[in-house]
Amino acid sequence: MTDKDELKMELQKIPWFQEITQAHLEKIVEISRLRKVKADEILFKEGDREDCLYVVIEGRIALDIFIPHRGKVRIYTAEPWDVIGWSSVTPTVHQRTAGATAVVDGLIVGIDSKKLREACEQDHDLGYLVMRRLANIVASRLLVTRLQLIDMFATPEEQYAK
Amino acid sequence: MPNDILPEIGSTITIQKPAFNSILAHLKEDGYLPIGPRVKNESLVYETIDNLEDLPQGYSTVQKPGYFRLIHTGHTRYFDITHGAHSWKQFLFPSRLELFTLHKNHAGWYDTTQQAETPRYAFIGVRACELAAIHIQDNIFMRADFTDPVYRARRDRAVIISVNCTHPAETCFCTSMGTGPRVKNGFDLNLTELDDVFVLTIGSDLARKLLTSVPFEDARGYALNNVEHKIEHAEQQIRRTLDTKDLPELILDNLDNPYWNEIGKRCLSCANCTQVCPTCFCWDAVDTMSLDGQETKRERVWDSCFNPGYSYQAGGNTRPTIYSRYRQWLSHKLGTWKQQYGTLGCVGCGRCITWCPAEIDLTEEIVNLRNEVRR
Amino acid sequence: MITAEAMIENVTSQPKTLLQPQWAEITNITPEAEGISTYWLKFQNQIEQEAYRFEPGQFNMLYLPGFGESAISVSSDPEDQQKIGHTIRFVGNVTRAVSRLKVGDVVGVRGPFGTYWPMKQMEGKDVFIACGGIGLPPLRPAIYHIIRNREKYGKVTLLYGARTSSDLMFPHEYEKWRKAGIDVEVTVDRGDANWNGRVGVVPMWFYQFRLDHRKVNILTCGPEIMIRFVIFEAMARRIPSESIYVSLERNMKCGQGSCGHCQMGPYFICKDGPVFRFDELQSFFNVEEF
Repeated sequence: MTDKDELKMELQKIPWFQEITQAHLEKIVEISRLRKVKADEILFKEGDREDCLYVVIEGRIALDIFIPHRGKVRIYTAEPWDVIGWSSVTPTVHQRTAGATAVVDGLIVGIDSKKLREACEQDHDLGYLVMRRLANIVASRLLVTRLQLIDMFATPEEQYAK
Repeated sequence: MPNDILPEIGSTITIQKPAFNSILAHLKEDGYLPIGPRVKNESLVYETIDNLEDLPQGYSTVQKPGYFRLIHTGHTRYFDITHGAHSWKQFLFPSRLELFTLHKNHAGWYDTTQQAETPRYAFIGVRACELAAIHIQDNIFMRADFTDPVYRARRDRAVIISVNCTHPAETCFCTSMGTGPRVKNGFDLNLTELDDVFVLTIGSDLARKLLTSVPFEDARGYALNNVEHKIEHAEQQIRRTLDTKDLPELILDNLDNPYWNEIGKRCLSCANCTQVCPTCFCWDAVDTMSLDGQETKRERVWDSCFNPGYSYQAGGNTRPTIYSRYRQWLSHKLGTWKQQYGTLGCVGCGRCITWCPAEIDLTEEIVNLRNEVRR
Repeated sequence: MITAEAMIENVTSQPKTLLQPQWAEITNITPEAEGISTYWLKFQNQIEQEAYRFEPGQFNMLYLPGFGESAISVSSDPEDQQKIGHTIRFVGNVTRAVSRLKVGDVVGVRGPFGTYWPMKQMEGKDVFIACGGIGLPPLRPAIYHIIRNREKYGKVTLLYGARTSSDLMFPHEYEKWRKAGIDVEVTVDRGDANWNGRVGVVPMWFYQFRLDHRKVNILTCGPEIMIRFVIFEAMARRIPSESIYVSLERNMKCGQGSCGHCQMGPYFICKDGPVFRFDELQSFFNVEEF
């Protein structure tokens, strides 16, 4: 089986990829790459140029932010079927805002963000589907972040600590 | 006629007013403490009475939202006056009660509670609304799954001499709540005051015995008609109403309505209404410790859903703002009470209206809420 | 110390007063996490100890003379008749006083009170337990019951989250539970250098589990805000509100549905709860400050 065939097979296990047309799937497969990762392997660092987004097939990818004086803080982990690096599709700061590290051995799909944008420009139907999916990802990520923000497990002292 | 025959249970008799003192004397001989309305410090309280003369003869009240005045009109009736801030709740469910006292020795804590004698009260002059309130509290404190032993002990020993209201106050709305002005049942002796006599209905064996050696006559037609006439007159005098047809849904379906905020702006959360309300039953357990740590006491005290600490938990307060506390009180009293105990919790006595310093009238607020909902 | 006569009287007769406790000795204290320990109690009166039975989800009122009472869920195995475990977080006056107690000290106990997890009704179904923080202890007795009766239940999952990895409750038991056939998945709100597991809030992980909305029962306990979002996620997956059970808490004083403090709408959390089927609460669960 070629790499592309294997890639297509893995993507087709994921619900969203089952809902798009074969033509659209082919287009995405064209600009994607299947990649094995090892535990502790760094996918990207804070400040790196944003060049692709990743879909997790197996394993766990952690997002960390380095805070001076506090060290590395792990703010999120992406599990199978989750997406990281989505902001590279509609870039604002053109830099990764967090670092991504594989926590365990795994398998990911990297999709070239620039080429994905171009594909969306050329085919607005694909563009709409991709943007809609991105909006969903952002919405759920926002909800998670808000729940982390309100610190729901904090004791009263922790809540009011400055 | 003075004789050895006692009236039958269910019968209605008349006695000359001074003869009532003999009934009071019998009660005291049997170890009861008669409690009735008295004028004290320009107010109307429920305290011990010795004889008829202790009652507020000649007094009447003027009551409005946030307003109470005792006025002396010089009339000759003893039971004409309606209630003040006091209710019978404080006797069956005392505002402060020692539960137990513990002392510490080398082995641990041991019980040194002085078992107090349960008082035997005779409530003189219980209005129909007040009797309904006692029945409501019976349902709360004496249930199949749980009985408050203190309430039960006092309630079992209590004698109830009720009174048909003949002169309701402006704040009364018992007719809307189906609780008065006529006393229906649950009494030992039910009394209606006419100008010349007391008309008494015998409700229990204990009441029969209170008539020992007391001159009485079977109530004749004119007396019975007079009683009916007075009750009808009282019913007509009640102008304040509360439409309960859409309760509790009106409140429970509209908990989010912004109108609650409007009431919240005026309410002071002073808890007066819960103290004077004869059905409010919330209480708190208070633990105190002596300075040397050798003795501790557990007491039960009245509490109120308006108290800021009432809904405080480690982690915060579930009702930090006044509007939500007012909503809790009203949505309980005229709402969820029904699901909990089978009836609404309000008896229409109007105390909460009279004694609210912000002049909040719940009958008016329900009308306002209804209008807001319909908009 | 209560006299022998008084102890026997307490067991066999109607209480003369309210809130009268039975006395129990602390036989062991297990520190669980920062500010949280489990206190193992045994009644001083052997008859009382043997007579005491609780259902998973019920709670006791623990009494410290001079300080007051605190409602604490029982977190131990219902089949263990030798001791009763209470997992306590030291947050208020009473619980902070409890934190100063030692093995051998005596506390007052009233209980058990409240409704319990529907272990019988869930037989034959899948069970998805979604809880967080100090919400795991009230569910632990249910987990023990499931393990003991594993064949009566379908797929059983525990999704548990805490603030950080050092706040996780009972981590030493997760392997045991996994071996007993429970899928234990753990997450923290905030990762740290020692943590290689999931980072993210409990509600967000629902997407990873295939929940059959016709077959699954959800049990949830924890901060009310977490419960709200767990229910949100569950109902978004078409799980009916009759299949969701929550355990709530409120300020409790009497534990017997008498003092009024713990009311939420028409319910007394101490006697109509703390475990509720969600459809009973649905109409007012999201009303602010109710």
